[in-house]
Amino acid sequence: MAKKTYDLLFKLLLIGDSGVGKTCVLFRFSDDAFNTTFISTIGIDFKIKTVELQGKKIKLQIWDTAGQERFHTITTSYYRGAMGIMLVYDITNAKSFENISKWLRNIDEHANEDVERMLLGNKCDMEDKRVVPKAKGEQIAREHGIRFFETSAKANINIEKAFLTLAEDILRKTPVKEPNSENVDISSGSGVTGWKSKCCS
Amino acid sequence: KNTPPRAAAPAAEAMEGLDTTPALAFEKDAFDLTVEDVYDISYVIGRDLLKINSAGEEVSELQFKIVRVLEMFEALVNRHNLTLEELKMERDNLKSELDRRLSEGSEQGTMTIGSNKMVVDLKDPNRPRFTLQELKDVLQERNQLKAQLLVAQEQLQLYKSGILPQSEPAAVEADLQPVPPAPCTTPKEEKTTIRKLCDLKISGAA
Repeated sequence: MAKKTYDLLFKLLLIGDSGVGKTCVLFRFSDDAFNTTFISTIGIDFKIKTVELQGKKIKLQIWDTAGQERFHTITTSYYRGAMGIMLVYDITNAKSFENISKWLRNIDEHANEDVERMLLGNKCDMEDKRVVPKAKGEQIAREHGIRFFETSAKANINIEKAFLTLAEDILRKTPVKEPNSENVDISSGSGVTGWKSKCCS
Repeated sequence: KNTPPRAAAPAAEAMEGLDTTPALAFEKDAFDLTVEDVYDISYVIGRDLLKINSAGEEVSELQFKIVRVLEMFEALVNRHNLTLEELKMERDNLKSELDRRLSEGSEQGTMTIGSNKMVVDLKDPNRPRFTLQELKDVLQERNQLKAQLLVAQEQLQLYKSGILPQSEPAAVEADLQPVPPAPCTTPKEEKTTIRKLCDLKISGAA
């Protein structure tokens, strides 16, 4: 098979209330495009994007979750495998900001202890509809010791920066190992782990 | 009930020729008859009996029997109409009760009733009808196929560009995983789609 198409595989997860723009943030990053029609994500989806950091090809497997409560049990089963989690809220939606603590609790309950977290205040292009001041986002991020960006998938503000920063933070913690090869592992439930190819080929 | 049929009324003769409407009762449908119709019939029969009676005494016994039969007829029609009325009232009551309950139900729509129950309209083509597990399985399979497609596309790209060496054992990425498998990991999750198909398991749930 392939010698190598990348050096490292990082698994990221997007969470946050329904409608805050998680899918759009991801779509902007992976396809550099934006779609105004709102289609609620069903359960869980993912996209792949390979980036280069510090001379390493890093494949980002980014899981996009449904924000709706009814998919909760499906989406939380994907937390465990994530190395980085982006918690997204909508600066024009106060409720989505209030729910940050709920999402942080979800991370505590379901994700790995050493998971890299990041807070994104999306839709920052809609200044006239803003209800969450940037300072409040910065404050809550500081309180939890996590990074914070205000982003706009529509206006392409800070999207790539956010993903690259999260990837860098993970890379910093990653011990240097032999590069691996293909196979995007997508097992879920008990964790997005890489045992599939070993066990059943 | 004790009212004697009009047949016994002495005024019967006087009405003759002036009032023909009582005879119309004979033309009605049996089940449409009212007690008044029975009285009309009795009147007409009584009138005719009087004609015969004037001819001789022999028919008086028959006259009493006819009166008796007409009385029974009266009672039956009475009873029939009462029963009919009762049934109609009961039907109307049930109808309004049904309407009341239906409108109550539609007001609530798909909102919860009682404790954590949901009303589902079985005629709604968009009603929820699959289990969470089924959705989970379908999503997992979708994502797995998507991942395989991405890998295949990548490989194809490498073949085309001539980068790909001929045959090398597939490397395993397991050592790169930061997470050990959780305790509840089952072989089911490691099955490929083809295997699932071979197992003929419709839902894929082991």
